[in-house]
Amino acid sequence: MNETDVRIHVYDVTMATGRPPLAAEIAKHFGATRDEATSTLQRLAEGRVLVLQSDGEILMAAPFSAVVTPFAVRAGGVSYFANCIWDALGIPVMLNRDGGIETSCGDCGHAMTIRIESGSVHGDGVIHFALQARQWWNDIVFT
Amino acid sequence: MLYFRSEEHVDRWCKAWRLERGAVMTLDQGWRLASAWFDDRRNPAWRRKTIDEIESVFGSIGLTSQFWSLR
Repeated sequence: MNETDVRIHVYDVTMATGRPPLAAEIAKHFGATRDEATSTLQRLAEGRVLVLQSDGEILMAAPFSAVVTPFAVRAGGVSYFANCIWDALGIPVMLNRDGGIETSCGDCGHAMTIRIESGSVHGDGVIHFALQARQWWNDIVFT
Repeated sequence: MLYFRSEEHVDRWCKAWRLERGAVMTLDQGWRLASAWFDDRRNPAWRRKTIDEIESVFGSIGLTSQFWSLR
C-alpha cells in the first residue's frame, strides 16, 4: 500500500460519507491486512498529512474530523465535523459547494451559524488564533 | 482556532484560559484564508505546502506580522 493511494482513498471516503474510513475498512478496500493499513496511516501521520488517535485510527484528515467537534458542517447533502473554525470554512472550499456551519462561541457557548453561498461567507463572529503559526504542530489537537 | 461572538468574548476566553491574546481576524478574512489554503487532497500530485508557500498564502490576505512567521 502506498501513501498516495491511501491518502486519495481516505479523502474519497471522507468527502462522500462525512467520516474517514477505519483502518480495517482501508485494509479491506486494498486487499491488505489491518497492520499494513495501520503502518501506511502511520507514515502519513509522520508526514503530517493525517493525525491519528492513540489506537492508530484517523483523528484528523484536515479539514475533516473523525470525531464529533463543535464545528458541524453541512454541504452537498452530507454532514461533516471540522477540527476548528478554519477547517470548518475549508470543507465547503474542498467540496466546492455551498454549505452551512453550526458552531458556538468559544467563550460563552452561544449558538452561531455561518452560511457559505455562491462563494461568499455570511456570519457575524470573529476568529481567534491562540498560537503563533510556528507553534501549531507542537500540539495540533490543541491548535 | 475558535469562533467567537466578538473580540470582547475573545478577551474573556483568553483571561479564563490564562493565555495571551493571539491573532483575531474577521470571518471574511478567515474565509479568504481557507479559500487560499485548502485544495483537493485527492489529487495524486498534492503535497504539503512549503514554508515559502505557506507564508505566501498568509501574505496574500495581509497576514505578514511575526505571529504568522514560520521561521
